[in-house]
Amino acid sequence: MSAGIAVFEKDMRLIWRQRGGWFSAAAFALISVLVYSFALDLAVTEVRPLLPGVLWVTFLFAGIIASGQTFAAEAEEGTFDAMLLAPVSSTTLYLAKVVSNLTVLLAIEVAVLGLGTILFNISLISFELALIVVVGTLGYVALSTLLSTLDARVRARGVLIPVLALPLLVPLLIAAVRATGGALGEPVGTAPWLLLLSVFTLWATLGSALLFPMVAER
Amino acid sequence: MSLAASMTARAYGLRWVVLPPLTGVMMMAMLLGAVLVAPREVVEGEVQRLFYIHVPSILAAYLSFFIVFVASILVLVRRDMRFDPVARSAAGVGVLFTALGLVTGAIWGKPIWGVYWTWDARLTSTLVLLLIYSGYLLARGIAGRADEQSARYAAVFAIIGFVDVPLIHFAVDWWRTLHPQPIVARGALPGEMMLVFLIGTVAITLLALWLIVLRTALESMSARTESLSAELDRFEVG
Repeated sequence: MSAGIAVFEKDMRLIWRQRGGWFSAAAFALISVLVYSFALDLAVTEVRPLLPGVLWVTFLFAGIIASGQTFAAEAEEGTFDAMLLAPVSSTTLYLAKVVSNLTVLLAIEVAVLGLGTILFNISLISFELALIVVVGTLGYVALSTLLSTLDARVRARGVLIPVLALPLLVPLLIAAVRATGGALGEPVGTAPWLLLLSVFTLWATLGSALLFPMVAER
Repeated sequence: MSLAASMTARAYGLRWVVLPPLTGVMMMAMLLGAVLVAPREVVEGEVQRLFYIHVPSILAAYLSFFIVFVASILVLVRRDMRFDPVARSAAGVGVLFTALGLVTGAIWGKPIWGVYWTWDARLTSTLVLLLIYSGYLLARGIAGRADEQSARYAAVFAIIGFVDVPLIHFAVDWWRTLHPQPIVARGALPGEMMLVFLIGTVAITLLALWLIVLRTALESMSARTESLSAELDRFEVG
């Protein structure tokens, strides 16, 4: 456990050192909300039916692009190979990476929700919504972190990871958007969608944790 | 070696002798059957004859993706790189037949439903399936053939993608059923139609298997060529 915490601290330190990339992701997320406001004319139309989709597409794009780069620097510097020699299981390495990415992405998402609350005059800060955001984010981070092990030598990997991840995440997107709509008062029923979202997140996390050791081996 | 394994090995050895003529005969039988033998469908008319290619194509696509899944597990767990060309070629054939199924479905859909495409659960999940395995092929195309690391990565992606299919179908199904949509249900098929359909299924399945066998041979040779030329480079440098 203490080894896990040490690896997590290492990952957080890495994120801090690469903060340029993460700040770009945050800026991208905030600007996306503005772009959607112009594109869908959210200033005058009723935002409730559209806002869940706007939020989740923003979260997914920003999150996948940011967490998709997560192993790139380590692979280049050789840190990753060294970590594999350390006396920690590769599942621990993976989980620490997921938790550190999750921490930063949740911070970005809180900022987006705050911005949305101000811009659209709608309360986006509630327990129900927080639950949906945490579960959904864990689900996509689990998958995009697994997929980000794609070798740094591969050309165009920055584009390839979203292309690989997004089709897999279709169930998560549907469930998260519907559950968020329910939390905002749309008549879709939050509970069954939150259940589907939880099932997907559980599946993605367990499956990725099981498969990660197999791609990590050299 | 167990009896079943030796039987399989022997059957696989006969692939060049058995598959091409058998596929050819069955394909001819399917085409003749679909055009001449099967009766004209009363409501849908001639366009219904696409059914004898459409449904077998989708079945062949699912079979191909199942082969990708099994071959990927063998690559990951047994570390047997001989199965990597199998996975790669079955994915290509699966994408081909998924696309064929979607295209024939759209051609059928226009006169019958009035639209080429509808966000029906089955159509949407098939489209997502096409996207997943196209991504797989894209990833494989970018990385080198002899690269074992990228083969393992692709295998992980193929496994995740295959296991994701029921979840996608479930999610899309739920997504659509909450919004009422016209549901197209087919009744039981009459005798001659059933016969042609079965011939079509056998023919397309054989075609898919033959294509997979051909591509696997091609992929294995390309992988060998790549590793040989890499070795040659090392030799020349050293």
